[in-house]
Amino acid sequence: MDVVNQLIQLFPYAVLGSILAGMICGFLGTFVVSQRVVFLGATLTQVSVAGVAFSFLHLLNIEGWLASLFGIVVTHNSFLHNFEPAFFSLLFAVIVVLIFSQTYRQKALTQDGILGIIFVVAVALRIMFIQKSPVAEVSEVESILKGDILFIGQSQFYTLLGIFIFTLGVFTIFHKQLKFVTFDADSASAHGINSRLWLLIFYIVVGMGISLTTRFVGDVFTFAYLIIPSSIGILLSKKVWQVFLIAVITGAVIPPVSIYLAFKYDFSSGPAAVVTAFILFLIVYSYKKLRDNL
Amino acid sequence: MEKEIIKFNDVTIGYGKKKIIENISVSIYENDFVGIVGPNGAGKTTFLKTLLGTLKPLSGTIKKNSHRFGYVPQRDTVQPLLPYTVEDVVMMGRYSLMGTFGKPGKNDKEAVEASLSHVGIHHLKGFNYNSLSGGQRQRTLIARALAVEPNILILDEPTNGMDTPSHYTLLDLISGLHDENKLTILLVSHLLSDVANGVKRLILMEKDFFQVGPIEEVLSEENLKKTYSSDFNVNKIEEEYIITSKHRK
Repeated sequence: MDVVNQLIQLFPYAVLGSILAGMICGFLGTFVVSQRVVFLGATLTQVSVAGVAFSFLHLLNIEGWLASLFGIVVTHNSFLHNFEPAFFSLLFAVIVVLIFSQTYRQKALTQDGILGIIFVVAVALRIMFIQKSPVAEVSEVESILKGDILFIGQSQFYTLLGIFIFTLGVFTIFHKQLKFVTFDADSASAHGINSRLWLLIFYIVVGMGISLTTRFVGDVFTFAYLIIPSSIGILLSKKVWQVFLIAVITGAVIPPVSIYLAFKYDFSSGPAAVVTAFILFLIVYSYKKLRDNL
Repeated sequence: MEKEIIKFNDVTIGYGKKKIIENISVSIYENDFVGIVGPNGAGKTTFLKTLLGTLKPLSGTIKKNSHRFGYVPQRDTVQPLLPYTVEDVVMMGRYSLMGTFGKPGKNDKEAVEASLSHVGIHHLKGFNYNSLSGGQRQRTLIARALAVEPNILILDEPTNGMDTPSHYTLLDLISGLHDENKLTILLVSHLLSDVANGVKRLILMEKDFFQVGPIEEVLSEENLKKTYSSDFNVNKIEEEYIITSKHRK
């Protein structure tokens, strides 16, 4: 209990933030996995990290511009100080989803091929941006790559809460259109739904969720929680709503458990969260295999 | 002659800058039953997508009255990982009629029930779409297209990959939709025999070759040779077209 008390006292927002991050990824991941665009998730996490790395070059002073616009004094701990990495992470991700959403009809290259190109370019750019960043800030980029759930503070928590509400809101209000275009975009178009527009909205919301979650909890955590909870949901469910429910619950429950384990056994929280989720996946997969063979 | 409802006027179809067929001029009439036939890659699906408006023509004009389309895609293009039920899938056909924020109402549920009954799969409505046979999936997609309450039903290779009994019962179902429900139907197939003995008019399609007209005019050995670059015998025995390859002994 000492570990639990310490965690709650020292890292309350980290625990709550990890739950939110897991829920966001579990929810979005269900679409990503069912759309068979898992590689999009991997690519977006890398693109987001490249965006964060780009922000450390300070080529565009968005913080300074916003501060002067609103007459704000930027302190080290202010929300605005953290704005630029999140902004560029989001911007890079949105540019990629804009490109990706327009490619589903083209036949010259496969979507995986396009994502593969973007993936390697993002990784390369990230390395180049880090090399040109001031040394003091390289550690921050590296910490993002490792995944630092424990560094989630109050502002990150509220940002994650905002993303969660926004994502859930968009998918609830427009569930008909998003369901149809993700199920069968050509037929949706033929039946009067603007597939190009709705797929664009779908990918932008997915891109926003992935990029901001990557910014706060790291690329390894984000990608793992896009895939593993939704795969568990698909393995266990017979109804679509059950898939989402199980994915979101799994995404919510495993991160705090893994933070506890990481804290107790002195591991990094991000990788511990991934391994814990994978162990649960193995248990569910084995159970499903056994159940199907009986 | 029935009323003209769609008119392609000197239309070129293709993707991007790649032209697939140029200068298509064809009209579709009310209560028409048109078969669209051609070898793989001839542009049949591209033609359909251009007709539906999901692809823009590269040139020319398409005149369409405000008709509602029901579209049945190639079955293999719909392979969901999520466990959607048959009812879920058919309800999608109603979405465009509900408005942006609307929810399924009594009318929508009744339309779904009626569509399911019409294609003979009402008993499957709670089943997972992924658990169905090929024929049942195809009927589900037809039910979804009927749920739109369409004026024009468009089917893209509906019998692809089906066993023989399912193949013919599905063709009977499609013929029934035309004969009994007076639906205008466009049926795409690469199987000549599917089309030749069911439709009223035929479109033969191949790159740089586009022929349209009543089946007895278009279904000739000469036209088939131009379409398939192969020799065929076309015989009519007891009102049924028998098409065989001249290379078969």
